[in-house]
Amino acid sequence: MSEEYNVMELMTILASRDIEDKKIIYVGTGIPMLVTSLAQKARNLKITPIFEVGGIGPEMPTLPLSVACSRTTWRALRAADSAEAFEIAQAGFADYAFLGGAQIDKYGNLNSTVLGDYHAPKVRFPGSGGANAFASFAWKTMIIMNHEKRRFVEKTDYITSPGYLDGPGSREKVGLPPGTGPYKVYTTRGTFDFDEKTKRMRLFALNPKVTVEDVVENTGFELILPSKIKDNDPPSREELRILREEVDPYRIILGRGEA
Amino acid sequence: MEMKILERGTQFARPKITPNDFREWNRKNKPREMIDKVMDAKTAVKKFMKDGDIISISGCSFVRIPVAILHEVVRQGIKDLYVACGTRSIDVNFLTDNGLVSHLDPGYIIGLEVLGLPKMSRKIVEQAVTKGEITLTEWDNASMAWRHKAAAMGIPFMPVRHMMGSDTFKYSGAVKVQCPFTDEEVVLVPALFTDVALIHVHESDIYGNARITSGAIVEDWGKVRGSKRVILSTEKIVDTEDIRKESDRTFVPYFYVDAVVEAPYGSHPGNMPGMYYVDIEHLIEYRKACEDTTGKALKEYYNNYVFGVDSFEEYLEKIGGKKKLKFLEDLEFLKVKPGGFS
Repeated sequence: MSEEYNVMELMTILASRDIEDKKIIYVGTGIPMLVTSLAQKARNLKITPIFEVGGIGPEMPTLPLSVACSRTTWRALRAADSAEAFEIAQAGFADYAFLGGAQIDKYGNLNSTVLGDYHAPKVRFPGSGGANAFASFAWKTMIIMNHEKRRFVEKTDYITSPGYLDGPGSREKVGLPPGTGPYKVYTTRGTFDFDEKTKRMRLFALNPKVTVEDVVENTGFELILPSKIKDNDPPSREELRILREEVDPYRIILGRGEA
Repeated sequence: MEMKILERGTQFARPKITPNDFREWNRKNKPREMIDKVMDAKTAVKKFMKDGDIISISGCSFVRIPVAILHEVVRQGIKDLYVACGTRSIDVNFLTDNGLVSHLDPGYIIGLEVLGLPKMSRKIVEQAVTKGEITLTEWDNASMAWRHKAAAMGIPFMPVRHMMGSDTFKYSGAVKVQCPFTDEEVVLVPALFTDVALIHVHESDIYGNARITSGAIVEDWGKVRGSKRVILSTEKIVDTEDIRKESDRTFVPYFYVDAVVEAPYGSHPGNMPGMYYVDIEHLIEYRKACEDTTGKALKEYYNNYVFGVDSFEEYLEKIGGKKKLKFLEDLEFLKVKPGGFS
């Protein structure tokens, strides 16, 4: 049994365990920086992080505070510009991208722009940032979100970044590059993937101390519940140590898990 | 095969500046001669900016942003601005907080990325959008980068393979067409020619031959080369001989640039890669001022740091002077530990 941990630590660790070695990863601001840095430091992976404004293959000595801050080009292989960074993704080099959002639906469509009416917003968020392009170009899009009913909704108020849109074939139909789309969703309650046939979100694994009922009750759409559901292993002491001591020692992002 | 328009974003509009307008402007208004363009921020803003301008701002979020110039824009109250907003943050908040903006093209706005979301700045934008005082055309960071790039190339649009299927497309000014070569559906994003680009760099000579010596370039090649006017602020003025010795390091040549403003620490509270790191304490002070959603604390912030000073040098004294700046230089090179996160 491991020690206590918060939901931010748990989601970061679970997502970071799934990154394959020797891949190119597009790293957005916030949790994706933790996930990538943890994968480098805890698993010693030879992955190449790319930041959307130009940082290619940096060493990230400390947690970047912005996708452009000097940590994203620290001992990097190249400091490019935004156009080039997105062109690399458009040309098929983006193996993974990590995204978050305020709302998600059963096809993995994400909203990070607005709640309520676009022209009379209840809440205005920063908007797409790099997310729309990441979700369009990455071979595997990984999503990390707080799992609440108001966030896991039947229909998002706005689609910032495309998931599987209306279901099978709809990404290809609108002209998005084939073979792309949401791959996994890591939440405060479990891990989810997408059913190959229907492209609908499916419960893949439960987080420690979470039941299927918990998940269903806190999801605003019908999830696919397979007969076999895995259990996510809790964070190990070593994973927590590296995350806390080396990745985010000032708990800039990890601290949000306590709220 | 015919190039058919399949769909238009709801904000579709004829561009305010077309490629031919831009060519004519560059023919008539940009001296081919290398002339001394050094002036102070006050003069540069007065001379080259006016109400209603379409503007872009260098760097990203709180990294390599032209704060010395932006403070001057706020002090002079240049208003009714149309602002390009790929990866924007506190820089555009300076303008929206002070009611100087009438249109935004987001990308990314308001947030301080990892350092949180300033509430009052968000409220100001939400209210202005609802009242129609700020109009929006939605984009994303990739389309904004390519729109600046298209302008730099002197072409009217760039075909791209994202945005389709999303509301990011629906609320944009893009169009979707069938590609005449491959038959696939592609999105065309219009070039964004601007009136003024406000750009901060590490080094420039007196003519505007400029260098970015460290860090990501962000969209800045496109911003400079796609703008009618360029106000360049620089940490340091260097000899043209220096530039000639290593011309492969030149970011842009002189003829794009209209004003060269010497502004050491000119990105503060932002990061200047290779020189000084983010002033975390100051950004948190700003975010805390934004916790007060009556707007009073934010007003005090501006009265203290922008309206209460005459120059950027005076501002640098206020934020802690040499001692603070030395700390930020050490922080950039990991010689000291950061603080002030909460």
